[in-house]
Amino acid sequence: MIKFFSTILVALMLGLAALSASAGSDIQIRDPWVQAAPPSVKVLAAYLEIKNDGKKQRVLTDVSSPAFAQVGIHRTVMHGNMAHMEHLKELAVPPNASVVLQPGGLHLMLTDAKKPLNTGDSVPMTLTFKDGEKVAVQATVRSGQKEDMGDHQHMDHSGHMNHNH
Amino acid sequence: MKRQSGLLTRKSLAILLTVAVAIAVAAAVFIGSRRVSEPVVKPPEDIEDYLFWQAKELTDFKLIGADNKTLGLNDLKGKWSFVFFGYIHCPDVCPLTMGVLGQAFKLIEKNPAAHQEIQGIFVSVDPKRDTPELLKEYASYFSNKFIGVTGNTAQVDAFSRQMSALYTIHPEESQESGDNYLVTHNSTVFLVDPQGRLYGRFPPPQLPQEIAEVFIKIHTFYNERVKK
Repeated sequence: MIKFFSTILVALMLGLAALSASAGSDIQIRDPWVQAAPPSVKVLAAYLEIKNDGKKQRVLTDVSSPAFAQVGIHRTVMHGNMAHMEHLKELAVPPNASVVLQPGGLHLMLTDAKKPLNTGDSVPMTLTFKDGEKVAVQATVRSGQKEDMGDHQHMDHSGHMNHNH
Repeated sequence: MKRQSGLLTRKSLAILLTVAVAIAVAAAVFIGSRRVSEPVVKPPEDIEDYLFWQAKELTDFKLIGADNKTLGLNDLKGKWSFVFFGYIHCPDVCPLTMGVLGQAFKLIEKNPAAHQEIQGIFVSVDPKRDTPELLKEYASYFSNKFIGVTGNTAQVDAFSRQMSALYTIHPEESQESGDNYLVTHNSTVFLVDPQGRLYGRFPPPQLPQEIAEVFIKIHTFYNERVKK
């Protein structure tokens, strides 16, 4: 029963995500995913591509997720072989351009998972832009390795699943 | 005047002689030391960049794993160890590198002799948050060849300094007080040979195929040319 309701909930959220993507927004979120880690790990990273089809620069100012206490925009910076993380207040996406968050660089740092996440789980996230637009996405938990990507590829486009409502 | 210049000449002659003798002694010591130490065999070009010019003997250390098991220099001997320093609350670089290593270990399976001799060692530089039990779960998640260890600051440093693997803990940069702080760390993967010597390194960014192919070549080179 619980599973039935959570399926409906997920479907609704996907619908919402699809709506927000199809409501004439210039912002498209592509391939949102969360790096899988052992269940006891409470801090995870999410990656996605933000595509701005508009003529104006858009600025991501906030990301939230009900599955985590806090979400921050972070960047890994390498000084030689030293990896250092920087916290960013906002992230600008130039007009007609994409910003790609990917391992070893820009990422969303998800802090204090409220429950353990497993490969295949969906993590709802809301991206808020400076002009007030909110974009809802479902990020899939997966291992970042290429061998797993084939299995999940068809699931990774929740940001523009227009057929799913 | 003449006497003075004669004196000068004698003085400079003495200095010259001293310098000559010093050079001769140094040269003799150098040549002698080269004879007693292992001859440096030039590695093939495609693995040269990954190897240290001369393997560095490690001194003993003590790190703590799950179930109160300790890890010391003797546990590295007889195996090829891939050593990575990180911390569990590191969401980006650490799972990336651990995932790459886990995949590299799988690729090394095509050379069973090499695969049998490898082990991965994840050293947490954040013992405040990373207990040995958490580290066991974390490390084995990426490969069953991996173990996770840590220790108090002195124990971790005694090992990490031998590889110049620096790290810094930044409590001042935390967004919240308490347990959410960041750590800067070296994301090189270090390679220790079966004699317990720091032998090579894989600097970031690493790729699974690169690590697997280079390691198999290093393994072959070592067994054919270096192993005593």
